[in-house]
Amino acid sequence: MSQIVLEGRDLKKSFGPTVALAGVDFVVHRGEAVAIMGPSGSGKSTLLHCLAGIMRPDSGEVHLLGQRIDTLGERKRSALRRTRFGFVFQFGQLLPELPADENVALPLMLGDVPRAQAVQQARSWFGPLGLAGMEGRRPGELSGGQAQRVAIARALATRPAVVFADEPTGALDQATGHDTMRLLVDATRRNDASLVVVTHDPEVARWCDRVVEVRDGRILTGPPHTGYVTPAGLPNAGYATTVAPSYTGHVPAPQVPQESPRGWRPEAGER
Amino acid sequence: MSNLLRLTWRLLKGGGRQGLLGSSLTIVAVAVSTALLLFAVAVNFAFAGRADRGAWRHPVPAKGEARAVEALHIDFLGDRPITVVDVAVLEPGVAPPRGLSRLPMPGEVAISPALAGEPALRGRYPGKIVGTIGDEGLVHPGELVAVVGHAPGDAAVSAKWKGDYRLGQSATKVADFTGAPSSDAVAYRFLAIIASVFMVVPLLVFGGAAARLTVARRDRRLASLRLVGATPGQVVAMTVAEAVITAFAGAVLGLALYAVAIPPLTQVEITGGTWFTSDMWPGVLPIAAVLLAVPLLVGLSAVVGLRRVVVSPLGVARRETPPGMRFIRVVVLLAILAVVPAMGMGVSVGVVAVVLGSAFLALNLVGPWVVGVIGRVTARTARGPARLLAGRRLVDDPRSAWRTVSGVALTGFVAGFIGLLTPPTDLDVGSDKATAWLLQDIRTGTVVVLAVSFLVAIVSSGITAASSVLDRRQTYALLRLAGTDLAVLDKARRLETLIPLVVMGGGSIATGMFCAAPFARLGVSAAGALTLLICVAAGFAGVIAAGALSRPLLRSVTTDPAPRPD
Ligand SMILES: Nc1ncnc2c1ncn2[C@@H]1O[C@H](COP(=O)(O)OP(=O)(O)O)[C@@H](O)[C@H]1O
Ligand SMILES: [Mg+2]
Repeated sequence: MSQIVLEGRDLKKSFGPTVALAGVDFVVHRGEAVAIMGPSGSGKSTLLHCLAGIMRPDSGEVHLLGQRIDTLGERKRSALRRTRFGFVFQFGQLLPELPADENVALPLMLGDVPRAQAVQQARSWFGPLGLAGMEGRRPGELSGGQAQRVAIARALATRPAVVFADEPTGALDQATGHDTMRLLVDATRRNDASLVVVTHDPEVARWCDRVVEVRDGRILTGPPHTGYVTPAGLPNAGYATTVAPSYTGHVPAPQVPQESPRGWRPEAGER
Repeated sequence: MSNLLRLTWRLLKGGGRQGLLGSSLTIVAVAVSTALLLFAVAVNFAFAGRADRGAWRHPVPAKGEARAVEALHIDFLGDRPITVVDVAVLEPGVAPPRGLSRLPMPGEVAISPALAGEPALRGRYPGKIVGTIGDEGLVHPGELVAVVGHAPGDAAVSAKWKGDYRLGQSATKVADFTGAPSSDAVAYRFLAIIASVFMVVPLLVFGGAAARLTVARRDRRLASLRLVGATPGQVVAMTVAEAVITAFAGAVLGLALYAVAIPPLTQVEITGGTWFTSDMWPGVLPIAAVLLAVPLLVGLSAVVGLRRVVVSPLGVARRETPPGMRFIRVVVLLAILAVVPAMGMGVSVGVVAVVLGSAFLALNLVGPWVVGVIGRVTARTARGPARLLAGRRLVDDPRSAWRTVSGVALTGFVAGFIGLLTPPTDLDVGSDKATAWLLQDIRTGTVVVLAVSFLVAIVSSGITAASSVLDRRQTYALLRLAGTDLAVLDKARRLETLIPLVVMGGGSIATGMFCAAPFARLGVSAAGALTLLICVAAGFAGVIAAGALSRPLLRSVTTDPAPRPD
């Protein structure tokens, strides 16, 4: 199979007497979208946090592109999160006082991209994500779905290797949630980033390449759920036109990624 | 109603660790303000007390029938003044002055306990010691006073005083020994009023900030209550109840704090003497008034802070762009400043106090507007993320940014005012002891007022810094999860304070100096410049240190791996 981007081996984590992770092996391949499902309290978020270098597992190892990252110091893990990972949370990750474009530009500026260039790059995400005209709005002036799309742009702006999303549509109604999740899955795929997404919605999980079930801190073994997904392509091409008309797949390539090998490539095979 | 109260109490208790921390911050803020407010009030009572206790020495010519003769002069033991009052009884039966049980007859003296205990003065005022002057007849503890009895024709009670008018009074026929406060005592009361204005205004601002601190924490929760259908009246009632309960606890704590501070405060020397403990205790009624007024003011301030939630539940929940502030604020300040050059030494105390107070309040009104402007400039010119964050934050909430620096900025006003008025230390007063005292007292007063202002300023900026971390904990935590360095967040926070501090601090000092100009006869002195310089340095250091104190708090709120909105 394709290259392994992120790998967790025998991850264990307890909070006092509560065992959140009881030995989890987890692999993410390049460009793949993995859904994590499971009941509340089963350890999904903890797994995400351990993989993303937010939290240190009690035991086990985490490797990013072959390099061990769980033993790095806080400063280095912080830099790693900033440069190699992107995050989409349920809500509240946008800075309320910054306009949308500056919210997206912020991680670039933190990576020392000059402001003008960072903002220009940030704006190139707005059109493809159906956010044209929203650049100057502040998060309080956006709908929940729009705010999450800005968050997706922000997560992808630094061209991360892996995007982590913890119930990114948990605060949205179902239709908006599906739109948003479609955008998330497609956008990460097109940018050659891998996606690890925690979700409760089986519908959403179907668009991912793989579904991992977590129960009581363990991964349920069983046949991987792949039924609705074509391995590398779009899950259900017709869906885009019916549910997310604003996103047709004819994406004007952002002016930005001239030099980046992992640009936003319009896929020839699609429609 | 009782249901509402119960719900309020729940909200107060159920705020969790962070909520508790927020309430504690409010309590501390209110306690410090109450203690300092009590001090500002007590200062006036203290000087009034001194004026009353010393009045009997300053004879008032009898209008009708004269019953005694009284003369006053100041002797010296080295640098220590000795108050000598010469009396002669013209008609027996005249009541003795306060502090004495009977008047000394010719050949008799009454002396203060301190004079009795001073071996160097034994025999300086000969005569039979017939009484000790009680505390109620002494201006300050340890004062050296002698009341010497004479026959009506003696030289001491018929001569005219030819020395410095502040060091003696000619023999005067009086009807009784009530007397009148000396002109010096009146002048000191005037200075005390000005000092109080300087201390009370920043305290009011600070108290308001403390009140809004409670509100800020509840904003979202109350907005949700509004969304589920609580009436505006209910929301207001709950907020006020919460703010008032918290503030009352703070006020009581403040009273305790002040009581602890009384012994050291009585040791501050003014006019060559310390204070009685009772001087620093303004009495039951004024204290009760303060304990009542503080929670009321905090409650009122809370209502004002809540206006936006009550008017529109979505206003807070959705965080729209706040309405801009109008330029009219600046016009108000300019209008008040236009009055200043018309003031001079001849203007009455009341007018000066009102103009100073208004200038002070207007400065506070202009502050947020200027902070907003600074924020826009900062955001527009920012190159790095920290500056951008700081600038946008200043634009977003100029009032809260102003709250962090207002204390120090307003103290800058006081420092500018006083800096221009501080007499030079090398002013040649020669043997003019009275002037030397006055200058020394002005310096002492200056130091006390500035110390109080800075204490308020620094405590307030520390508390607002901490509360702003608490208010934004979720955003900070998520930024940190996404890999933002604490250093960047810290730098943004620092800039957010420093930029307005530099601009507004400078502006306030200039305004203060401008207001002092009509009274500055001595010109700018080295001592004044030094005072100013020390103030500026202390203020900046204090604010930065106070901000740095909330750094561990920032660290703690951002290490929670799974931040949840409350
Ligand atoms: N910071 C924490 N402190 C204590 N217990 C925690 C903490 N985080 C998670 N847990 C516990 O670990 C278990 C797994 O939590 P989590 O990973 O958040 O579950 P999920 O995301 O699947 O709902 C739960 O029982 C939860 O109570
Ligand atoms: Mg979770």
